[in-house]
Amino acid sequence: MVNLQELQDAVISGNASKAKELTEQALKENVDPVVIVKEWLIPGMGIVGDKFKRNEIYVPEMLIAARAMYAALDVLRPILAQTDMEPVGKVVIGTVKGDLHDIGKNLVKMMLEGAGFEVIDLGIDVAPQKFVDAVKENKPNHVAMSALLTTTMPAMKETIEALKAAGLRDKVKVMIGGAPVTDKYANEIGADGYAPDASSAVDLAKRLLQ
Amino acid sequence: MRLIDIVRQSPRRLVIPLMGYPGARLTNSTIRQNEFNSDLHYRSIYKLVERFDPDAVFFIMDLSVEAGALGLQVRYPLSESATVEHHPVKTLADLEQYEVLDPLFDARIRSYIETMKLMAKNLNIPKGGYVIGPFTLAGLLMGAVEIATATITEPDLVLSVVNFAENIIIRYAKELIRAGADIIAILEPTATFLSPKAFARFSGASVSRIVRFLDAMTILHICGNTTHLIEAMCETGVQGLSLDSVVDFPAVASRVRSDVVLIGNIAPVQVMVNETPDGVKRAVNNLLEAMEPYPNFILSTGCDLPLETPLENIQAFMEAGKAWRLRRADSAA
Ligand code: B1M
Repeated sequence: MVNLQELQDAVISGNASKAKELTEQALKENVDPVVIVKEWLIPGMGIVGDKFKRNEIYVPEMLIAARAMYAALDVLRPILAQTDMEPVGKVVIGTVKGDLHDIGKNLVKMMLEGAGFEVIDLGIDVAPQKFVDAVKENKPNHVAMSALLTTTMPAMKETIEALKAAGLRDKVKVMIGGAPVTDKYANEIGADGYAPDASSAVDLAKRLLQ
Repeated sequence: MRLIDIVRQSPRRLVIPLMGYPGARLTNSTIRQNEFNSDLHYRSIYKLVERFDPDAVFFIMDLSVEAGALGLQVRYPLSESATVEHHPVKTLADLEQYEVLDPLFDARIRSYIETMKLMAKNLNIPKGGYVIGPFTLAGLLMGAVEIATATITEPDLVLSVVNFAENIIIRYAKELIRAGADIIAILEPTATFLSPKAFARFSGASVSRIVRFLDAMTILHICGNTTHLIEAMCETGVQGLSLDSVVDFPAVASRVRSDVVLIGNIAPVQVMVNETPDGVKRAVNNLLEAMEPYPNFILSTGCDLPLETPLENIQAFMEAGKAWRLRRADSAA
């Protein structure tokens, strides 16, 4: 019998090939894929996020944990598509215009995916109009923006304005983050929430769904 | 002469803000013009020195020069810093095409060297030049997320790219020293997210080799939160650590060897841009007060000052810093 704790440990320690192998084995043994995701993979990424928050692991360890999670998810995806497991929610994410920092944004994306969200990643240097187009196309629950430069923070406000102008502002919740961003700034520009780190971003995204 | 010797010889705290960009405002020019024109760049630096009289001066901080010299695509906004847009190295084979390039043939590298020559000829305070750090240049070649992952999955590839970067950096730094630089500050921001062990392996070891090659005072500058890396950074053998405003200086100072100088760390944006001159003075005085027990300290900013920093705030920073009298110096007088 496959040991799903081992699968979770493989994700936490970033062992992608083992995560893939154990997932395949679990499927062969007819373990419910929804159980694998909800009871093992999602909590596993939660543990990774907490360790990162406590400085027990660093960015590289977090990135390879996410890679292992994706290795497991890739095996499960075709089967999950046939079940009625809906994503928890849908998020369009990007680093705002003029800003090329992508590590923080990627960690937030991975933690969201690890928590069962479907994430559409627009990458870095994303202009307001591109966020607007992506919202039109994908109809997400949330728009998540990251900015690492003080000089690019105003692009968050511009994006919110562009969403308003396109008549889409009340269709999505807007969440923001990045080193120079604060709760106060989120209020000032009319965002729905701010998260200081990747695990908090997941909590926020869940809260905003309600 | 080592950095610590200059610090020990001074009767007061040395005051050295990392300011380059605001100089462009003193010459009514754009950042981009300074990045390409050594006469102008020198004049911007000269104006800063004339106006603020710092204890040492650096040229503008530009993390794209070395990468640009290797042919990476760089974006040059008019009034913001230049940045590298694409990160083409994925394998060792990709690296090979860069190995033949001599960075000293590059026009912008030459322009920074010429700027340093003019600084050396005309300024009578210590002159500093910046070079990028080996892990950060490797990160620009490979991509930041890619290099972070590869430290675990392909450490040999990372080490090869870091070694390659190291040679480029040494070649450029030596030329800056030949042009008259007294101080070389190595900018290694991308290493902030490594664990202490990974830092020692992928950045620190290379930084120590660079430092050994350079006949100048050396500083390691890493932005972001580097609290976990203090010991590992000291291990590199650099003479000074220039750290960001998120690091709690009084709390880490005792972890810094007494012959290594801690340099920083007034917040460039929250304090230097957003505060009033009085607010700047308060922040400076608080830091100087808290650092009083530590002789191995230079008052500086956590990172390079943005273009829009109010000039009266730089003035306030200099005045508060220079007015501070060390209690030990007072009692000796
Ligand atoms: C809901 O949505 C959400 C929610 C939470 C969100 C979120 C979105 N986004 C992030 N979060 C949160 O969750 C994440 C995980 O917990 C966290 O993400 P972070 O991104 O904060 O944390 C990451 C996991 C690790 N941290 C990082 O990746 C950033 C580290 C620091 C050192 C940094 C790095 C590495 C780099 N840089 Co840049 N860089 C700095 C950074 C220092 C700092 N204090 O942050 C900063 C951000 N850089 C700065 C600067 C000035 C620059 N950088 C530049 C370039 C670079 C490198 C290329 C060298 C590299 C980027 C590599 C890359 N591809 O991302 C240039 C600009 C490039 C551009 N146009 O974007 C350049 C202009 C430098 C120059 N002179 O050329 C400074 C900004 C100053 C300011 N406040 O405006 C800076 C604070 C350093 C400093 N002290 O000066 C949270 O913030």
